[in-house]
Amino acid sequence: MNEQKDTFLALTKSQSALWAGQKMHPNVPLHNVVYTFEITGDIDKMTFEKAFERLIETSDILRIIFSEERGIPNQTVRSEVDFSLEFIDLTHHQNNTTIDKWLHERTLKLMDISERVFDTALLKTGSNNYVWFLKLHHLVTDAVSNSILYRRMSSFYTSEITNTMAAVENFPSFSDYIKFEHEQSTTSVNNDSNKYWEERTKNLLEKPKLYGEKIDNSTAARRITLDLGTQRSQQLRELANRKEFKGWTEDLTLFNIFLTLYSSYIYRVSGQEKIAIGAPAHNRSTREFQKTAGLFIEVLPLVIDIENEDTFISLFNRIKIETNNYLRNARPGSATVQTNSSSNTILNFIHADFPDFNGFPTKTEWIHSDHIDSSHALRTHVYDMNNSGDFKIAFDINCNTFSDATAEEIPVHFLNLLDAFLRNSEQSIRKPGLLDTAPVDELLIEELSTPFKSVIQSFEENINNSPNSVALQFVNEILTYNILNKKANQLAHYLKTKGINEKSRIALHFNRGSDYVISVLAVLKTGAAFTPIASDQPVERVKYITSNSKSVLLLSQSDLISKIDIPDIGILDVQKESSIINEQPFTNLEIQPSPESLSYILYTSGSTGKPKGVLISQQALSNYIFWAKEAYHTNEKSIFPLFTSIGFDLTITSTFLPLVSGGRINVYKESVTGPDVSLLKVLDDNLVNYIKLTPSHLALFKEKELSTSYIHTMIVGGEELKSNLAKSIKKAFPNELKIYNEYGPTEATVGCIVAEYNESNHTKATVPIGLPISNMSAYVLDEYKNRVPKGVVGELHLSGLGLSDGYANDLSLTAEKFIENPFISDKKMYHTGDLARINKNGSFEYMGRSDEQVKLRGHRIELSDIESNLTEFSEIENCAVVLVESKKTTPEDEVVNCTKCGLPSNYPNTDFDEKGVCHLCTAFETYKDKTERYFKNDEQLVSLLTSKRESNPNYDCISLLSGGKDSTYVLARLINMGLKVLAFTMDNGYISEQAKANVDRIVKKLGVDHVYGHTPHMNEIFVDSLNQHHNVCNGCFKTIYTLSTKIALENNIPFIVTGLSRGQFFETRLTEELFWDEDLDTAKIDNTILEARKLYHQESDAVKRLLDVSIFDDESVFEKVEFVDFYRFSDVSLEEMLVYLKDKASWIRPTDTGRSTNCLINQVGIYVHKKDLGYSNYSFPYSWDVRLGHKTRDESLEEINEVIDEKEVLRIMDEIGYESSQPQWENNSKLVAYYTGKQDISIKEIQNFLAKQLPSYMLPTIYKHVDEMPLTKNGKVDKKGLKNLSAVQLAMNTTYSAPRNEIDELLEKIWVEVLQLNKVGIHDDFITLGGHSLAAIRVTARINEEIEYNFPLNKIFEMPTIAEYSNYIEETLKSLLEE
Amino acid sequence: MKNKIISYIKSKLATEVVEEIDINEDLLGSGLVDSLGMVQLVLFIENEANIKVAPEDMTIENFMTVNHILKYIARK
Repeated sequence: MNEQKDTFLALTKSQSALWAGQKMHPNVPLHNVVYTFEITGDIDKMTFEKAFERLIETSDILRIIFSEERGIPNQTVRSEVDFSLEFIDLTHHQNNTTIDKWLHERTLKLMDISERVFDTALLKTGSNNYVWFLKLHHLVTDAVSNSILYRRMSSFYTSEITNTMAAVENFPSFSDYIKFEHEQSTTSVNNDSNKYWEERTKNLLEKPKLYGEKIDNSTAARRITLDLGTQRSQQLRELANRKEFKGWTEDLTLFNIFLTLYSSYIYRVSGQEKIAIGAPAHNRSTREFQKTAGLFIEVLPLVIDIENEDTFISLFNRIKIETNNYLRNARPGSATVQTNSSSNTILNFIHADFPDFNGFPTKTEWIHSDHIDSSHALRTHVYDMNNSGDFKIAFDINCNTFSDATAEEIPVHFLNLLDAFLRNSEQSIRKPGLLDTAPVDELLIEELSTPFKSVIQSFEENINNSPNSVALQFVNEILTYNILNKKANQLAHYLKTKGINEKSRIALHFNRGSDYVISVLAVLKTGAAFTPIASDQPVERVKYITSNSKSVLLLSQSDLISKIDIPDIGILDVQKESSIINEQPFTNLEIQPSPESLSYILYTSGSTGKPKGVLISQQALSNYIFWAKEAYHTNEKSIFPLFTSIGFDLTITSTFLPLVSGGRINVYKESVTGPDVSLLKVLDDNLVNYIKLTPSHLALFKEKELSTSYIHTMIVGGEELKSNLAKSIKKAFPNELKIYNEYGPTEATVGCIVAEYNESNHTKATVPIGLPISNMSAYVLDEYKNRVPKGVVGELHLSGLGLSDGYANDLSLTAEKFIENPFISDKKMYHTGDLARINKNGSFEYMGRSDEQVKLRGHRIELSDIESNLTEFSEIENCAVVLVESKKTTPEDEVVNCTKCGLPSNYPNTDFDEKGVCHLCTAFETYKDKTERYFKNDEQLVSLLTSKRESNPNYDCISLLSGGKDSTYVLARLINMGLKVLAFTMDNGYISEQAKANVDRIVKKLGVDHVYGHTPHMNEIFVDSLNQHHNVCNGCFKTIYTLSTKIALENNIPFIVTGLSRGQFFETRLTEELFWDEDLDTAKIDNTILEARKLYHQESDAVKRLLDVSIFDDESVFEKVEFVDFYRFSDVSLEEMLVYLKDKASWIRPTDTGRSTNCLINQVGIYVHKKDLGYSNYSFPYSWDVRLGHKTRDESLEEINEVIDEKEVLRIMDEIGYESSQPQWENNSKLVAYYTGKQDISIKEIQNFLAKQLPSYMLPTIYKHVDEMPLTKNGKVDKKGLKNLSAVQLAMNTTYSAPRNEIDELLEKIWVEVLQLNKVGIHDDFITLGGHSLAAIRVTARINEEIEYNFPLNKIFEMPTIAEYSNYIEETLKSLLEE
Repeated sequence: MKNKIISYIKSKLATEVVEEIDINEDLLGSGLVDSLGMVQLVLFIENEANIKVAPEDMTIENFMTVNHILKYIARK
């Protein structure tokens, strides 16, 4: 033995992956694999020690140690290892806690694997009881390996004790496997498999978020073990032997059954349909290796696509095939970084068992080290180590990802699914409930503790308390409680004379004003119900609502009523009949409504094209209002503005809450024409301290001075409340503003779930909606009405006293939406159609809609309501209406920058990898070498610029001098090279004084001739550039090119030298496509750039319109005057440059621009670009400067993040006459109607037609004709696709047409990528979509790459639509084939 | 083919050393070959018989015994 030498070996793939994990968390016992064997029998410790020594001798893994050299790990198999058995006598410690504590502490103890990879001890726990503790580092073992070691140990012990020789077994060592794995992974045998794994792990979506939780990068974990017991285990085995399940072996079938369960489970708790699950492949592929101890397993992914209709068995059948593919491709050495990082869940079906030790009864335990791989959310192990026939499932749960409560639920949910599978494998995997029956308190509605009181009763009580306090103020009219009550009583008495009783329904069609409030109170005093109809409703809708609600009377005012004639019902004009009303008695009517009687009917958008009336009882109204009084602490000091539409259910709060509290309503009348700006008036008046409104309203607060506002409580409802908005509003108000986020559909009476906004707790994008109000319950359910676990998204259902009784005159819709409450018998439950989840804290979060209902500035709109009305228009065949949301810019604090180049994540179509490196950097690595060939050196520059000396004796070239550091350096270097130079500076009117002084001083010092270029049209050019490109530089550059080319031509100067940085090349000249060619030809690139330059001067813009560009009509100009980029030939660091400038050119950094630029208007461009697109126009070129080593990331970010003087920017914008086209409002969502049918319908006609049926907020703002409605693969209108047209595309007059064939599709894909759009119609114009010459290079190069042909660059401008270009390609290909 | 398959199973796959394998012996049921071994056998057959075994075909009906395997190959 001693003669033998140590062996050095590299790590296997699996070992490397484990090593990397351990390196990331060096102080964590991540990979301590611990088993304990409780042996009942008398163990001789000396013999045990001897047996273990033999184990060490025969198992090389126990002699392996690890070390690292220059970052590369390797392992050494030592020829021998000292060992003496640690024996601990714990017999006098009778309780198990001592033993458990010892085991736990020892399990967590880190091992120094440069010394030893195992730790073992024998514990004596009773006279005839022992525990053998065995800990190994995962780097050298797996479950089967441990079983091998255990069996071998047992057999050695037996042979020692009986003094017999254990049978000598011949098996390979682990070192042999390591060598074998290395050979395997380098032979071509694995090629197909490698391809398989690469393909399989491609296009994986993001990893599933179990219970909505994103994985936290930490290792702390807890293990919860579930014993399936005898009955379930037997049932599982029976299932596995059923014909429809039976596979090659029982183990394989059981694995597939567990995988079916596990993937169903992950799907159910994450909602993700494509799931990758890691599973260890055992890898002991030959008979010999089955007896070798060591780390053989390799984790490889199974990728499962869940389908909507899946039953357990249908999913099982697909999984069977996936497993077969997995098995045939799982070869030693298959694991890669990609396969390892493809899943965040593991299913480990362990085939190892541990029989009795030396014939003594033995119980095996696998002890968890309290840590797992930080990229795993959940690892699930199925095993039967004691061979009892009963399965155990150990769930290793990432503690930082899941709360303790969630962790404890995991086995419950899994088990419920398992039981459902066993009960009926043909049921949908979505059907079984995951939760155990809930505790009663979560389901039961609290019963009303105080007896019912009506809102009117409470109002009337306030008259006794304080008759002379102000109840209502409307312009100059002030009504005390006493007077308001008397007026309401008079009208109520009058209504009685008209036969109104407790069963009557009365429509109220009013402007906001005191008459409306009086009418509401009067109706309620008669015991009847009111239906509010806002003044802006079209006549047809008023008529419909009045008749549909079965109103017997329409109360209104003179100016509104004049337009309406409804023959069948009475109309009461309260203004016209005021004298009769005023004669009525003042006294209260003393009518007590029953809790069940109706209080109001409120109409909301319905899906059939007609609004639907929601019936609200007295009890429901009281439940909300009296709850709100408590919750919002309203009292006699509370003043609410009544400024929202009376048809809006949030207005119910502003109408009743102040009156039951003894407070005051300030009524604001809506404007008769134009948008309702009452809110601005409310803020200006500053007379209220409470306000109820929508988040859209809040966006209007931005422009307002609020620091003196008296508002202290804000109730926000009707729409999602964004945390950012809440935060900024809270900041804008003095004192402590309370913001309540109230959720509730009309059907559950105004608000039924509420949260008080809390800045420190509510850090997610949207403020949670909170908890149900008194006497209301909310459930998040799946489609089978099972409650979903916390964190999982489901549909929100409501139940309780506040629930509506249903819809007026629509029993079938009522039955559809108000269903039986499955949790409480004899109660109804309303299906809201809203998606929600309950977060960790038990708070409800709103997650959007499950159907076509949208919210636009607080209005609830059924899109099908608009569609039904639109199809009534005779010339429209089919239509689809979508809500196109305003482009959301990422909030600045959520933007991250590429860790390599600094490119911001809000740059269009960016894709960052795990290390935070952007896709441009990643792609650049693949063609970096080639770009180097594009660049040249100083000598080549001199020889180029002097190549045409004979033709011009005066100047070799024009040098473009902006006065900035880069162009100054160029000029100084050109002079230094001995060239004859004419310097040209564009005076765009915004060069700073100091920069100008710089220019003058430099040219003087260098002794060069110098001219300034001017144009009177510069401001127009700037405005055009801002409109087209969101910056000023594009326009300025083109002016420079135009004017300097003219001078060069006039003076016969053959070259113009630019000072563009290398990064700017990639902004203006180069694209990655140019470097795709295998044999890169720089002449070809130069040629393409020249072609692009010709096209550039053809582009229509202000320069072409306003300057004399006739010189470009003759193409020879491009030969006579060549552009040369100085930095293509010379590379210099910023530091070197600054030193050189100081020495040679006396350049001084200007301080009067406040920035590193020399141009004052530059920041206007940056400001507009940032505002319009969210990022600086320098982000992209600077990222290239960094990528090409011209700048460091820090330098680039520092320049990009320079402060912008907003006041100065606005002044310059005003000076040049630029008006931002960007909306001032945050919520600029629009309704867009797409239609098929006659193309040239007058939009005005449609609008007029619709306006008769729908209120103005429901009228689409854009109408777009389409040839055919684009459909999804399920044959439904592709609304998602329709939402994706950009503003420019919507504004175009062309019909949207989807691709006709494969070539169209290919072109669309290329256009979409290059033009950074979401969708392109085949008749959309390339140039209108923003296609310019550089985009032409990219599009053409991509087409040529795909079609393998050489289409010329200018074709795209000749045939600027996909349809035309596609036909051209087709014809070209056809004629090629014919040849 | 029969002999090639039997000898491959005997030399590479069998979990125990065996003298002879009957063509009607249940390879999987007897535990002679486990599922990973069966996959090896599939790859071996694909190579030898120059056929492609689709994952859907990797069933007990096709691979229970050497006889089943031979019939399966003949069908392909």
